Amino acid sequence: MNTAATRSTRRRAAVAVFAVVAVVAVFVVRLVTIQIVQADTLNAESFDKLSASTSTYGLRGDITDNDGTVLATTVLRYDITASPKSVTDFDRTDAAGTTSTVTPTQAAAEIAAITGQTSDEVYGILTADPSSNFTYLVKNVDVDVFRAVRDLEIPWIYYESNPVRTYPNGAVAGNLIGFLSDGTTGTAGVEQIDNECLTGTDGLETYERGADGVAIPGSTVTQTEAKNGGTAVLTIDSDLQWFSQQTLAARIQETGAAWGTVVVTEVKTGKLLAVADYPSVDPNNIDATPADQRGSIAFQAPFEPGSTFKALTAASVLDAGLANVGTQVEAPYVYTDPNGASTRDSEFHVDPLRLTFAGVIQESSNTGTAMLGELLTPQQRFDYMTKFHVTSPSEVGFPAESGGILAPWDAWDDQTNLTTTFGQGISTTAVQIASVYQALGNGGVRLPVQLVEGCKQADGTVTQVPDTTGSQVVSPQAATDTINMLETVATGGYASADLQIPGYRVAAKTGTAQMSDGNGAYGDSYITSLAGLAPADDPQYVVSVTIAKPVTIENGLAAAPVFQKIMSQVLKEHRVLPSTEPAPDLPTTY
Amino acid sequence: MTNLAGATMTRPRTFLPSGSALPDTAFPDTAFPDTARPGIGRPQPGRRETAPRIEIVPTRSQRRARPKIAYAAVVVTGVLAIVVTQLMLSIGLSDGAYEISSLQQQQKELDRSHQVLSEQFDKLSSPQNLAASAAALGMVTNSAPVYLRLSDGAVLGSPVAAAPGAVAGASLIPNSLLTPPATTPDATTPGTTTPGTTAAAGTDAATGTAVASAPPAAEPQPDVPWQGALPSPTTR
Repeated sequence: MNTAATRSTRRRAAVAVFAVVAVVAVFVVRLVTIQIVQADTLNAESFDKLSASTSTYGLRGDITDNDGTVLATTVLRYDITASPKSVTDFDRTDAAGTTSTVTPTQAAAEIAAITGQTSDEVYGILTADPSSNFTYLVKNVDVDVFRAVRDLEIPWIYYESNPVRTYPNGAVAGNLIGFLSDGTTGTAGVEQIDNECLTGTDGLETYERGADGVAIPGSTVTQTEAKNGGTAVLTIDSDLQWFSQQTLAARIQETGAAWGTVVVTEVKTGKLLAVADYPSVDPNNIDATPADQRGSIAFQAPFEPGSTFKALTAASVLDAGLANVGTQVEAPYVYTDPNGASTRDSEFHVDPLRLTFAGVIQESSNTGTAMLGELLTPQQRFDYMTKFHVTSPSEVGFPAESGGILAPWDAWDDQTNLTTTFGQGISTTAVQIASVYQALGNGGVRLPVQLVEGCKQADGTVTQVPDTTGSQVVSPQAATDTINMLETVATGGYASADLQIPGYRVAAKTGTAQMSDGNGAYGDSYITSLAGLAPADDPQYVVSVTIAKPVTIENGLAAAPVFQKIMSQVLKEHRVLPSTEPAPDLPTTY
Repeated sequence: MTNLAGATMTRPRTFLPSGSALPDTAFPDTAFPDTARPGIGRPQPGRRETAPRIEIVPTRSQRRARPKIAYAAVVVTGVLAIVVTQLMLSIGLSDGAYEISSLQQQQKELDRSHQVLSEQFDKLSSPQNLAASAAALGMVTNSAPVYLRLSDGAVLGSPVAAAPGAVAGASLIPNSLLTPPATTPDATTPGTTTPGTTAAAGTDAATGTAVASAPPAAEPQPDVPWQGALPSPTTR
């Protein structure tokens, strides 16, 4: 009996143990299945049900001028959306506590009054597809409209915010800033040059939410950190840019011209302070401007510069030591060079003009310049042009920037060989001409042209700083001599009355270039230009003005007043002290 | 051998390990000094069920080693405290979550206000607007600056009177943000006049034009109460 009891006890214990083990085994298997085998699937499933994710916007960076004035910025605009299938009457309790029922028609009228639509229009959108759960009522409204609509407390209205680009200064520097194509990618100007710098990175946050949508504490996970884009800082001075554009536009309208540009460069740094184009675009409203006028003429459209180019020829000849400021030339009305190519002066004169080199510049004698220029071989002249950077695009890298048009010297025909001495047969951009004068003003050292100072990151560091290494193009003496010769234009040339800036010495060169008619011949329209520096005793700023096809005036006089006004403004704005030494009185005739 | 580990010692029954060689007589009655039943000799199997049990009285140290109610109380209180703390923490955390949510909402609203104001500021400080406002005030630019050198009192430059029209009147540089022009708030429009200008505009037509072209006086903003200490000059 004792043995039987023991056996029974054992059996029961064994059964119990087995049962327990079996149950535990089942649980273990299930546990492993859930926690390990199916873990990812289940996690994902539960995550979908519980979690919500929000995009955090990394906004596109600003574009500012050299003192931080915002030229382009990103703001949030709101799309107001509705759920048509939920559109019903709803109750609204006003401040006094009375509850009234608002019908969809009334609600539509209220919305329309704020958004500027008609109430029929809004009601039409709401009822267009009653089974739909989503429709846009109005897109891209500003904060005020958004708040007003939100305060209507309509239950079936929803909102989305989206970043939008805005340009507070309108067309001021619009030619340089450019614009975005699809709202995110720059497709013109600095928006394109610095697209990488400006572009922000959108972030993503996920969190688990409770029944009322509030995040469960500690469940927020930043999947990707949102990063705002950097700030592109331009070398442009927005006030001067506006002044230049305004002055240029006024003059172009006055003279009936077709287009024009102004380039203002700081001599000691190579920075562009203003690049005005007419016509130009207001990036807030690019549709108002024809597609071919939305760029920057100064960077993109090369033209034959004409006489302003003579400064380059003069500096080259002086640098090579083949002449000096007093070198005497007998400049005939028509000059035929040994190759048989010929040119003539713009004004008829029977006797040859007995001019010094300075006089050739002052009179802007084509024949004199050609005779002096041909002291250099074509190759030498081409090399100087290359060193002055008129054969390649500037360092700015502006979208679709032109590098000018000039065949290599060994492909020049006899006429091109001759005319390139005075700026015909070669095309340059306005920016390239300004750069030539910058080098002359800076003791012969040409500095890279700068439009963007760099990309300023959120932590204040500036990246993508452009190279500022200059190159000695001509000797300091050749540069100074050229400036002195250019000064004779302001003191005695035909435009001298329009070039006076009281208290300051000005060195400048007029230009009146025949424009190509597009068929390989010269037409009957002109590009008038004026490029110069001030103060001539210590050049600080270059102003280069180009006005194409003026009707009322067809020589440098069309551009001269613009030069005078803008140069005065630059000198005043930068507190440049007036000249103290009188101009050197270079003899121009003998 | 004396201490039987406090276990209640019942009288051993007759069963013994089967391999035991001990005879029954190995348990003489004397080994169980059961004084309560003097007349009973050898225990009878039939009467054993009713026989009262005897117990070994625990020693003092044994009594002391027993669990006390205090321990249970401590444990239960501890558990309760933990549960309550956990609850409070949870409540605190969810309160915090709601507060964060409401503050984030507030921050969003403030960001929006900031955006509205800075947009307005950028627009008003655009050169087109400034130039138009200055021109409306009758200001002209003087393109011939003159400098007074403080070191020797020398006048540098040639003083020339400013002439109107240095910059052509109307703005030729479009800014679609300024249309309808936000140049100057129209003081003559009813509803936008501030108390100070109403009298001037009403009494004097001449000053009325001046008021109309006044620089963009800020839109009346709700007063912001001053917070913090009043500013005071620092004297030494």
